[in-house]
Amino acid sequence: MMDDHQCKEGVRAALPIVLGYLPVGMAFGVLARKAGLSTFEVGLMSLLVYAGASQFIAIEMISKGILWFPIVIATLFINLRHLLMSSTLSLYFKKDRLRTLSLLSAQLTDESFAVAMSNTSKISNQPSYLFGLQMTSQLAWIVSSVGGALFGELIDHKEYGIPFALPSLFICLLIIQIKKVRYLWVMVIAGISSILFKWAFPGNWYILLTGLLASGIGMMIETTRRDKR
Amino acid sequence: MRISILILILGMGLVTFIPRFLPIAFLTRWVIPERVKMGLGYIPIAILSAIVFPILFFNEGGKVDFQLHYLLSAIPVFIFAWRVKSLWASVILGMLVYWGLGLLL
Repeated sequence: MMDDHQCKEGVRAALPIVLGYLPVGMAFGVLARKAGLSTFEVGLMSLLVYAGASQFIAIEMISKGILWFPIVIATLFINLRHLLMSSTLSLYFKKDRLRTLSLLSAQLTDESFAVAMSNTSKISNQPSYLFGLQMTSQLAWIVSSVGGALFGELIDHKEYGIPFALPSLFICLLIIQIKKVRYLWVMVIAGISSILFKWAFPGNWYILLTGLLASGIGMMIETTRRDKR
Repeated sequence: MRISILILILGMGLVTFIPRFLPIAFLTRWVIPERVKMGLGYIPIAILSAIVFPILFFNEGGKVDFQLHYLLSAIPVFIFAWRVKSLWASVILGMLVYWGLGLLL
């Protein structure tokens, strides 16, 4: 089942994510403690939820005295964008058992999805690679959020270019996705529509809406090309 | 460990797991039409664009705004990533440029 070599390659591929997660996870730990969560609760949330944006929003709501139903609903909506990523991943895993798929999908994040997609030959029917990649990423998230909860006050998260670590990672991953000229068009369309959607709709609906719109347009560009031939 | 927080975490975990798991669970077992597969091929670039560009044009309050510090840092990372395609090096470069600009701006 487990292929050590592939798993190790996945671990290595996760290192840029680890670099990006450490400061963000620590910031989460600090804020969660300020909102009144214990260190154990911080670690448990990073273990069982493992979704950066919704964890930050949960903390924000907890500190305002809001508890669970609104937070759970907000979490659901924030994470609906994973529907698209999970659908895309399904193209690369055909024969795998549900137990394997449930473990792989439980650790799906924007970052691990994007890194996995930067080299799809590595993930095709190779759960061990994705497992190594995602396990390492989540470990970094748990360790850094607990670390932040324990002694995060010692580090200034706005310093040393830390706020630009994850954006830089995403920029490089975006560039890697431009495989042909039509991907560039999809990027332009998605870039403009994401700004319009974010301006028009609350929360982070813009990611899901942009994903649907821009991938639909990409498909249309590709089909018209084929028809012409 | 308070029970209310435990229930909250379990609830959040469940609603996060469902959209992550259901598509891969079903779609790996169904036959997917060619057109849908084609569309899914554009999901990575669509989502990455939707993550990157709003970072550059919205402030922390969620209002449309030129994020000069981010925009100026992003340009060298775009160029470097295009030439080198190294995740590691892009992250380090981006942090250095952002940090350096922070000292100047």
